[in-house]
Amino acid sequence: MSARPPRTRPMRKPVSRTPAWVAPVAVVAAIALLVVAFLVIRWYTTPVAPHPLPLDATEQVVSSITGLPATELDAVGTGSANNLIKRVSGASLTGPNGHPEVFYLGAEYCPYCAAERWPMIIALSRFGTFSGLKTTSSSSSDVYPNTPTFTFHGATYTSQYVDFVSVETTDRDRNPLESPTSAQQALANQYDTSGSIPFVDVGNRYAFSGAMYLPDVLSGMSWQAVADSLAQPSSPQAKAILGSANLITAAVCKLTADQPATVCSSSTIQSIEKTLG
Amino acid sequence: MRWQLLALAAGLAGLGISIYLTVVHYSTVPLACPANAVINCEQVLSSPYGVIGGTAIPTSAAGIAWFAVSALVAAARLAGRESLARLQLVWSAIGLATVLLLVYLEIVQLGAVCLWCTAAHLLVLVIFLVALPGPQEARVRQ
Repeated sequence: MSARPPRTRPMRKPVSRTPAWVAPVAVVAAIALLVVAFLVIRWYTTPVAPHPLPLDATEQVVSSITGLPATELDAVGTGSANNLIKRVSGASLTGPNGHPEVFYLGAEYCPYCAAERWPMIIALSRFGTFSGLKTTSSSSSDVYPNTPTFTFHGATYTSQYVDFVSVETTDRDRNPLESPTSAQQALANQYDTSGSIPFVDVGNRYAFSGAMYLPDVLSGMSWQAVADSLAQPSSPQAKAILGSANLITAAVCKLTADQPATVCSSSTIQSIEKTLG
Repeated sequence: MRWQLLALAAGLAGLGISIYLTVVHYSTVPLACPANAVINCEQVLSSPYGVIGGTAIPTSAAGIAWFAVSALVAAARLAGRESLARLQLVWSAIGLATVLLLVYLEIVQLGAVCLWCTAAHLLVLVIFLVALPGPQEARVRQ
């Protein structure tokens, strides 16, 4: 009996199997890479924020813009400013020192607040004195990035005519800074139904929200350059900032019964007051 | 099967988030979201990208529709409708592509991230991963 040759089992070609986890992991890795690429693009395209000025340079700029001659302010009139001031009727707003109160609600990141602080400082400095103002700029990642400005956070204002109360809700990176009281928030809710900032209430007699000129007027400028441009009444910056300052001045004059006369009796301010109603 | 249960749960969770963001958009209810230099739901949702193509319809309304369909498809597959596998893959791929566009807008254009949106984006990714055909399934389809 001859031995049967051993039966050869058919060879099966091994099937290569991709482990089940490969596809999901590849998708997640690809998405992670894409997110990293987005972050790199963002980093490269974000404009660098200018360094705030040192204290002495800041004081020089503040002194320059608050020491403008009244004749120059009068010459500009309302300039290119957009009169946003609305008459409101509410219980008169009295500040911590018993004077009529000008209330400001804004934030350091906000480019419109950055624009509006220039005329506010100029206007209010005609009734009193700011101290402790610091330079800053609006957010690098918002519209009109890095608009040069000052912050009211940490600043004080003294006046024998009006009180100024400010709330800067966040810094330029949107980190929380100050919160409005419930009464201040109620004012904003009442007169600023769109919720836009800056919101300014002038003694509950006048109020406005937003900036009276577009921040692009200040685009790419240093604080000193803005201050220098205000010395030339025909510059776009002077027309925008000083025009806005005159509008705010007129509203405050209505609040203080035209005091001080050296400021409020000028024909320019008197003429603007008539338009405010 | 259990993966479809995950897709269904993700679809329902995403539907909840989208409904919440849409309700907040149309009301005065404040948005529950921390705000700092990076995370800022308000900045994202009030940006031009927070609405669909210049309309007043919030982007989250599209999220309601997308997650509702995703949940329905996952429920149908749970019930044995395997023929919907390809539809689920295509639908979730569309969702993922939209998410990538929105993430680009958040990071590159706005420089801010919305936490609620990110949660919804992760749920879209979960649904897409569930919809990916496994190796066995891929061979059967060939």
